[in-house]
Amino acid sequence: MDRLVDLAVSAVLLAGLYATMAYGLGLIYGVLRVVNLAHGGIIMAGAYLGWQMHERLGLDPYLSIPVVLLVTYGFGVLLYRVLVRHLPRGAAGGPASLLLLFGVWLLLRNVAYLLFTGNDQAITTSYSTRAVPLLGSFVSLNRLAVLGIAVVTPVALHLLLRRTYLGRAIRAVAQNADSCTVVGVDVERIYAITFGIGSALAGLAGVLSATIFSFNPAFGSGELLKSFVVVVLGGLGSVLGTGLAALILAVAEVFAILVLPSYLTAAVGFVMLVLVLVLRPGGLFGQRVLG
Amino acid sequence: MNAPPPPSLAPARVAVLFAAGVAALAALPMVAGLSPYTHNLVTLTFLMVSGALAWNWMGGYVGQVSFGHAAMFGVGGFVAARLLLLEPPAPAPLAWLAGGLAAGVFALGAHPTLRLRGPYFSIATIGLGEASRLVFTYWEGFTGGSSGLSLPLDPGTKYRLYWWGLALVALVLAASWLIRRSTFGLQLLAIKADVEAAADVGVNATLYQDVVFALSGVVVGLTGALYASYFSFIEPNDMFGFDRSISLVLMAVIGGVGTIAGPVLGAVVFVLLRQYLLASYPQLYLGLYGVLLVLIILFEPLGLSGLALRLARRVRRRRGSPAGAAA
Amino acid sequence: MTSPRTLSLALALAAFALGLPAPAAAADRAKIVVGATLPLTGAEARVGGFYKEGYDLAFAEVNEAGGLEVGGKKLPVELVLQDDTSTQATAVSLADRLVNSDKVDLLLGTYASHLVEAQSTVAEQNQIPYVNGGGGATKIYKRKFRWLFGLLSPVELLGTTLMQWADEQQKAGKLPKPAKIALVWENTAHGKDFRTGISEFAGKSGGAWQVVVDESFELNGKDFAALLGKVKAAGVDLFLVDAHLPDYVTMHRQYVSSGMCNKVVSYGARGSEKDAVQALGQENVNGILSGVWWSAQLASSNPQAKRFVDLFKARYGGRTPEWYQALGYETARILFAAVRKAGSTDREAVRKALAETRFESLLPGGWAEFKADVGQQVQNGFVIQQNMPDGSSPIVYPKEVAAAAGIAANPRCPK
Repeated sequence: MDRLVDLAVSAVLLAGLYATMAYGLGLIYGVLRVVNLAHGGIIMAGAYLGWQMHERLGLDPYLSIPVVLLVTYGFGVLLYRVLVRHLPRGAAGGPASLLLLFGVWLLLRNVAYLLFTGNDQAITTSYSTRAVPLLGSFVSLNRLAVLGIAVVTPVALHLLLRRTYLGRAIRAVAQNADSCTVVGVDVERIYAITFGIGSALAGLAGVLSATIFSFNPAFGSGELLKSFVVVVLGGLGSVLGTGLAALILAVAEVFAILVLPSYLTAAVGFVMLVLVLVLRPGGLFGQRVLG
Repeated sequence: MNAPPPPSLAPARVAVLFAAGVAALAALPMVAGLSPYTHNLVTLTFLMVSGALAWNWMGGYVGQVSFGHAAMFGVGGFVAARLLLLEPPAPAPLAWLAGGLAAGVFALGAHPTLRLRGPYFSIATIGLGEASRLVFTYWEGFTGGSSGLSLPLDPGTKYRLYWWGLALVALVLAASWLIRRSTFGLQLLAIKADVEAAADVGVNATLYQDVVFALSGVVVGLTGALYASYFSFIEPNDMFGFDRSISLVLMAVIGGVGTIAGPVLGAVVFVLLRQYLLASYPQLYLGLYGVLLVLIILFEPLGLSGLALRLARRVRRRRGSPAGAAA
Repeated sequence: MTSPRTLSLALALAAFALGLPAPAAAADRAKIVVGATLPLTGAEARVGGFYKEGYDLAFAEVNEAGGLEVGGKKLPVELVLQDDTSTQATAVSLADRLVNSDKVDLLLGTYASHLVEAQSTVAEQNQIPYVNGGGGATKIYKRKFRWLFGLLSPVELLGTTLMQWADEQQKAGKLPKPAKIALVWENTAHGKDFRTGISEFAGKSGGAWQVVVDESFELNGKDFAALLGKVKAAGVDLFLVDAHLPDYVTMHRQYVSSGMCNKVVSYGARGSEKDAVQALGQENVNGILSGVWWSAQLASSNPQAKRFVDLFKARYGGRTPEWYQALGYETARILFAAVRKAGSTDREAVRKALAETRFESLLPGGWAEFKADVGQQVQNGFVIQQNMPDGSSPIVYPKEVAAAAGIAANPRCPK
């Protein structure tokens, strides 16, 4: 029983991490119908940013979040304006957008490699190994913080999307971009902003990950794939769905150790990805628009 | 990726040129006295070209970009390796063939994903590829686990692989050309352009995609099998890895997806870049591919072969030949 | 249908590139050219860089003394080092090029078992001596290649040596009998061999040691919570892991955060790295045992080791070398010693010298021998170090070189 509670706690914490990583990917897909393969690279960039600020300025990673958000937001807008904008929209653009953003990801990896070498880095603070007792097991402070942010982010996103003009514009563009142009919404600007927000969320996930794991320029590929699983499971564009999907994935992966050798539990996510795509491309929640 | 189609050629002329090319390459080692290094490099290039061309059948002809082809590469390699490790070992060509066929059958397992379109399919292939890698790395009895499999060293094999590789390339090139020119090829193009419309005119999209995916799998499996004999040592992380899948994508896309010269050019460039640029500037090769990808997607969907074509057209125009006529 | 022009272009490009003049061949006897590749970029770049330091040191040492004595003359030695980017195909192609294009006289090996295994086939096919200090998997040497020489002791021995230390503690009553082991290993050739060493020892112990958890994990894993939970639930005495540095840091962080404590903890060859101590905090790495192929502390009992440590410190600003640099240095140095012994750079002569000589060495035991019956891989023992609260990591086993007694059961763990 103890063991099950331990596993459940681990699963919830892991879900927080997965959710944080997936929001950005889901937002961009929901609005632009573009699968951002550079997502992993931006997560990695966020990690390096946070780490650099900690190394050079002694800034606590949580305090550096606003800076990371800003920088990765700017990068996302830039990425859209310079490159993504030129991609054909819709189904025809599918493979092209994948490959373009994959190219961007390779570039990001190389830049990080040139700047920081391939060595693994980690953000070590005084509280890195501090844990609090919870339900009979110990929970790392950093993981709790990630969980907290994972819960707060969709709330913030929800407020943004429902209560602000920008949010309504984004939702409108997601539903029908052409009609939006007709009523005077600057669709391109909305796309750029959305790409920026999505990238900012990826950057946030990156700096949070850096407090828990080591990372190097190749960081992000595993995270990207897990984000796919979450976004596809959650219905590509549904923020609530993303959160629940993250939980489902985390629970599946963590509890799989009861029946599978530990090494193979890593395959659980991928198998789920394929199954969900094949059986329910609309995701478990079947929503295709932002909700 | 809808650039104007390149000019067409009379089949007879193509066949003659093709036969001449193959004969020339076959005679090359004897005539030119290649150093063993160059000889081996060309062999490896033949293998990479075959793989890229086969990937292109799915990625270029049908328009389904697969990021998981390494799974077939690995299955082909390990099946062949296991057969070559028997006592007594199976004859190499048989082992390779078995590897290719096994990979083709394995590819059929991806059938349910074939009705997914565009990015959904690509993402699904990533999932399949990674899941395969994990399962096969774990399956020690088949792949030897992370330690991999070592094949008995036979001095002549690597040398002779040149001609086996050439035979494979010739076969795959011929097949690519034939498919392209056939009704089958047209039907594939229809599927690529609009699956529903194609179905409306009676094209059985699911069956055809299965066929192409299986064929693609067989060739990539054969490539993997020959690769195993070439190195005399294979291990699952290298064979089934995401990098392996990506290299196939890069070769075809950078060379020019959907064309025939494209994957050929892409594979040649890929191998040469690795050997020469990589040795001097190893830190740059990732970024180089990234830049190439971005530039190609934005400006020249037909990749390097498209660029070459544009240059050729410009040269022809300057020479004063009538524009648009068949070359 | 595409124009044959493009096809011709492709072929022309290839022909042109292949026709590029190869770098000047080293066929003259004015110097000795040794070829090697190392993973200077890619997954193993960190360690590759360390090995390079060792190679560079050995070459500098010989050249600064005027050259290598070969049959009465002193010839300068040159290292042609390429980056194999931790990729098998590149390692093999580069080796092929070094041998057949650059025409090197001899080869030094790369780092990482799968790279060495692939690359050694090139050496065997071209009949050129290949001495490596980077491939520890026994499997590499099972093929009984004549031209392959391995200076890295089998990784199984790491596991065995660790268990021998633990066995001593158990016999002295400091560890329970029977004792339970959780064996967690990275799914690489290295990890597999580590696991073999431990499980075989346990299997032969007649029940004194029981492996109750035996799980592998993927390199660069991120979340070990479930795995650690399994270990925790099993209530083991020994927690033995084989991991690379980043996984060690990640896993141990999660281990500490979840309040786990076992009597004996080891991360294989990891443990005393300064980076890890910084990332984890000294109090969290106390007591961790590590088994390494060589330690700078051997300088107090091994004159070759002392000579190397002094040389290294002089060249690299007072830094103390770790086993990577030692192995790199020793690999090159033993190759030189073989050439000296053979009196020529003739490949068969050098091969014979390598196969038949008992070399003085900085490795534990003081000698290095490449015996044919084990595929010409040295079988020197390991040294077990343990992290102490004062920040040092003295050798605790084997007794002949031990600087301190090992602390058997971690005092922080509740009984």
